[in-house]
Order: sequence, then C-alpha cells, then structure tokens
Amino acid sequence: MTDNRPILNVWNAEHAYGSRKVLRGIDLVLKPGEIYALLGPNGAGKTTLIHAICGRLRLTGGEVALDGKDPWSTPVCRASLGLVPQEIALYRHLTVRENLETFGRLAGVKGKALKGAVNLAMNLTRVIDREHVPIRHLSGGYQRRVNIACAILHKPQLLILDEPTVGVDIDAREALDGVIRDLRDTGVSVLLVTHDLDQAGTLADRVGFMREGRKVLEGSPRHLISQAFGEEMEILVQLSEDPDTGEEIVLSGAGLERRGATNLWSRLDAGGYAAAARLDAALRASGLHPREIRVRQPSLQNLFTLVADWQPTS
Amino acid sequence: MMLAMFRVMFLAMVRDRAALAMTFLLPPLVFVIFATVFAGASGEDVRLRLEISDQANTPASERLIEALLKDPQLRARRANPSTPRTVRRQVRAGKADAGLVIVSDPAASGAPYLVITDPTRAMASPLTQGRVQTALAEHLPDVMLAKTLDLAGPVYAPLSPEQKRQAKTIVGMVEADAKAGKPPMRTQEMFTLEEIAGAKKGRGTIVYYAGAVTILFALFSAMHVAMTMIEERQAGVSDRLLAGAAGMTPVINGKFLFLILQCGLQATAIFLVAQVIYDVPVKAHLIPWGLTTLASSACAAGLAMGVVSLSRTREQAQMVSTFLILILAAVGGSMVPRFLMPPWLQSLGWFTPHAWVIETYQALLWRDAEWQALYPAWGVLIGVGLAGLMIAHLTTRLVRR
Repeated sequence: MTDNRPILNVWNAEHAYGSRKVLRGIDLVLKPGEIYALLGPNGAGKTTLIHAICGRLRLTGGEVALDGKDPWSTPVCRASLGLVPQEIALYRHLTVRENLETFGRLAGVKGKALKGAVNLAMNLTRVIDREHVPIRHLSGGYQRRVNIACAILHKPQLLILDEPTVGVDIDAREALDGVIRDLRDTGVSVLLVTHDLDQAGTLADRVGFMREGRKVLEGSPRHLISQAFGEEMEILVQLSEDPDTGEEIVLSGAGLERRGATNLWSRLDAGGYAAAARLDAALRASGLHPREIRVRQPSLQNLFTLVADWQPTS
Repeated sequence: MMLAMFRVMFLAMVRDRAALAMTFLLPPLVFVIFATVFAGASGEDVRLRLEISDQANTPASERLIEALLKDPQLRARRANPSTPRTVRRQVRAGKADAGLVIVSDPAASGAPYLVITDPTRAMASPLTQGRVQTALAEHLPDVMLAKTLDLAGPVYAPLSPEQKRQAKTIVGMVEADAKAGKPPMRTQEMFTLEEIAGAKKGRGTIVYYAGAVTILFALFSAMHVAMTMIEERQAGVSDRLLAGAAGMTPVINGKFLFLILQCGLQATAIFLVAQVIYDVPVKAHLIPWGLTTLASSACAAGLAMGVVSLSRTREQAQMVSTFLILILAAVGGSMVPRFLMPPWLQSLGWFTPHAWVIETYQALLWRDAEWQALYPAWGVLIGVGLAGLMIAHLTTRLVRR
C-alpha cells in the first residue's frame, strides 16, 4: 500500500441468526499500519464481525470491503488478510519451519519466495532459533509467535489476531507485543480481538467497544479515558488479607469496589493524591491497614467496567 | 497447494512409528493369518478327531476299530474307559470332533453305529459316516457282503442251502483277502478327480481374503487419517485456511490424494505377501490389479472423508466409523466368506464396497476375468469415493458459513 486508503471498511454491518440479531449496524475503518483493538464482553458480536470480515458469512445487512472488495463474493481479496486464531492453529508434529512452509504453500507462496517469506516471518516473530523444533516441544509463548508467523507469510495487509495472549505469561506477552508492534511498523494493519485490556491499552492506536451487537465507543485509549473520566484518578488499595464482613462494609462505605477476586480495591476520585491520603487515614482510623495505596490514571479496565454497566436507555 | 497438505500427512505418518506399523505391517500379518486358516479349510487337510467306543466287542467291530485307527485322514482313538458316556464327554469338551459308538456287531443286521457330534461342527457327522463306510469297504468287505446277502435274500429270493454254502465260501474268501491286505473293492476308484485348470490349493480363498483384508484395513486407516479434519477444525487450522483465498479445497483434495496413496501402499503390501508366499498371480495382472487397487483406495478415501466430515467431534466420528466399518465388513464379506451367507445377505453385500472389492480381486486373480468384466466394479468404487469427497467439500462449505 502506497496510499493511506483504508484496508478494511465495514459499513452498517448487520447480521442475525434466525430472529437473534448479533450485529446491529457496525461501522469500522482500518488504515494501513494501524492497530485497532476490538473489545467487548462475550456475546457482543465480535466473532460474527470477524467471520464477516474473513468472508465466512454473508451479512444480512451492510457491507464489508477488504482491500476494496467483498470478501464473501470475491475470495481472492482474502489474500490480503491473515488470521491468527485463538487456538494454536498449527501442526504439532511438524517443526516451526515445516509449519511455515506448509501454511506458506497453502497461502499460494512458492519457490524462492517461500523460503524468503519463511525466514522473514521467523525473524519478525523471533522464532528463528527454534526453526527445527517440533511445535509440541515449544513453550506456549513460542507457539503463539509461530501462530502469528504462519499468518504473515503471504504478506497480508490486514492481520486479525483473535485473543493472542490467552494462556501466556507476562514475558511471553511482552514478546508478543513486540512482534505486533514490529508488524505494524512494516505497514501491516492489525485488528486485535482481545479481553486483555492492558494489552489493548498498551498497543492499540484505537479501540472499539462492542456490546449487544453495537459499537458503543471508539477512539484512542487516551482520548476515551480522558473523555470518560476527566480529572478523575484511580485510587488502588491493596490489602494484605481478605477483609471480614465488617471491614468490607468500611471499604464499601469509602466508595471502594473490589477488583475481581483479589484483595485489590479501587475507586475513582478527582482529588488525586490528596484524596488518597485522606482515604488512607480514614481506613486506618477504622482499623484497616492497607499494604499499599497507589494512585494512577484510569485504564481501559475502568472504561470497560463503565461500558459494561451502561444501559442503552440511560 | 494440494502437495503441501500431502506432505503434512506424509510426515505425520512417517513420524508416528506405531501408526506406521499399524498401517503397513498389521494388514499383511492379518492377511497371512486369515490365509493360513482358510486356505487349509478347503477340506483336503481336515483330519477329524474321532473318539471310539466299542460296545459290541466282536471280531468285526475290533477289525473296524483297527481300520479306523490306521486311517490317515482321521485322528481316531479309543475312548478310555470305552463307554458312550466318555465319548459324549470328550465331544462336549471339544476334545473330539465326533464320537463313534459301535453298539452292536457290524456284521449283524440293524444299525450298529451311533455317531455323536457337536452341532457347531456340522461337517463332522458326514465325515465320520464317510470314513466308517470307507473303512468297511476297504477292510471289512466280507462283512459288507454278508450283510448285503442277509438283507437281499429274504426280500428278493431266499437262498437255497447250496447257494448259502457258496455265499459263505465267497464271504470267507473275501475275508481272507481283506485280512491279507488285498481289498477287492476300492471305493475311491469309482471316482476320478479333476481340479480347475491352473488352480492351486486354496488360492481362491487366499485371493478372497487378500481383497477382504485390503478393504477392511483401507477403511480403518482412512477413517483414522480423515479424523485429522476434525482435529484441524478444533485446532483452528480450518479457521486460518478458510480465511485465506484458497479456502479448504486444497486441504481436502490433498488429504484425498494422500489417502489413496496410503491405501494403495497397504494393498501393495498385502498382495506382495500373497504373490510371494501364496503364489497369487498379481504380477501377471499388474495393470488391472493396479486399477482395482486405485479404485478401492479411492472408495475407502472418499467414504472415510465423507463420513468424518459429517461428524462434529472426534468421539462422534470414532463411534460412527467403528460402527460403520464393522457392519460393512460383516455384511460385505470381510469377516465371513460371502458364499456362506444366505442369498438375501449376499445381495445386501452389494451395497458395501467390501463385496465389490472382494469380488473384483477374485474375478481378476482367481477367475482370470477380462477387463470389461471389471469396469462396473471400478465404476461403483470410484463413484462412491467421489461422492464421499463431494460430501467432504460440501460440509466444509457449510462450516464456512
């Protein structure tokens, strides 16, 4: 791509399985070299949208244009697409190189071009040191990177990554993030479908929140967060042990909410560090001694919680 | 692109030594076992185990027992203790194929023999009766003659005292000759045997089982390999490929080609053993044999892919394929020879690839059939294979949606 023409255009995408509507007018545009993270709870319609972009289903309404063409009716345009499935979609008995050669050939890359593409993909995804190792002997992180390598052999302009960090540790995730950035730097557009909000916040140029078949928010993470939370900061309170019922009442009374199943509690507050100091004092006065209190900018996690709680009628 | 998938399947096979052995060593081994069992079951090598009890204890009964004990086509022995109960017990325990109780003097009138058999060994009774008759004719002709005279005389014309004396003299002479080892009559001389031109002992059965084992294992291994389609679906490989420009078409076709090769190599291993060990004339019919093998391999490959593509999970495919393989093998003649089946079951067998494969190999390698006679079978087998392949393609398109 020499111009800045979008590689992907989705207009008013609608789809229904029987009477159940799963897409209700989605618009999406991806420009070359852009990383776009598609977020949303299960059942939001992300997978259906990806299937439509991959030409695996015909929309009941709206249009998808991949490199200017409809991927359903013009399969050849899918050559500009690379899909990295959530599963390790590799042949486990084959080595890294053999897998890459196989998927390269299946993508129509041949001869010397194939050899070059395989070497380039292994370099980009940093798996060349394991090229002769069977997939089943690789760590989860390496398998994820080979999973990506197999999708870029035919030099796609759009790479769709479906939950690329499932089941990998922090080091492996950072390595994967590096790979995705490197790919973006080569001009590849990346559509990242993930539940990993930290990764989306770190990597994505833009994020889109989907809910009940609609896109409810879209923009750069920083812009969306500042728009949603303004001057508010997130105060995080880390406890040493599980609070008892009385302590929970104190924490809730202080406006704190538990984050997941951890001993981490948080609240949004425009007062920043001063508010954090007041909160610390109040908790200690009530007999609670937090191990740590931190103040930070709100994250996509906060935004996601906000969107998840959002009611269309409110 | 198809070759890429072919290579994947090939590497999977050669890197899995257990699967390799199952694919190429087990079928010839099973074939050799079948051939050894059934090639010897044509009749000439059967040596009946006969348990004998003599309740008459006459010179004639003793002579008959001696003759039966010496019969090379029997493994006869005296019951110990020599009672009907012992004989029954031995037959019931499967230690004897049949029992013979001589209840009265063979030379006297009446029915002097009681044959005890196990109904599961249907041939044991006629074989026992035949060997007793042969022993009487060869070693006790005097007894037979005396019995005939005793039976015929009162019915047709009573003998005069002079005729009776002459008859007794003849019987005595016959007895003397028999005891001297000069039997006056040899029953087998009444028949001249002719075997089918070019036929070798048991080869028809061997060819039958070569075909039966070939299609049985072709389906087994084809089903096993075809299940990789489900693994690819579950591992996301299908998702990755369906998102590409070529879709799953080269994958399906590549697998089909690989399965044809694998089934073909399996058949080659089986018929190589048949040629080398049992002198089945495969080399002399190499081209039509190759085409028959190609057709049967295509049939197994397509059928397996069609069946597996209709299954959602590996467990489902495993259950359906096991059920199908066993039923088809039973009805088609891979387990029990088709000629032993009732006519309706033989007709039903034509709805299985097994019957077509078995009959085609037999027609070619046993009956020296002309090529034209093989065309219908080739057509049916290739047609079934292509139909299965078509189903696999169509199912993949449905998955795409």
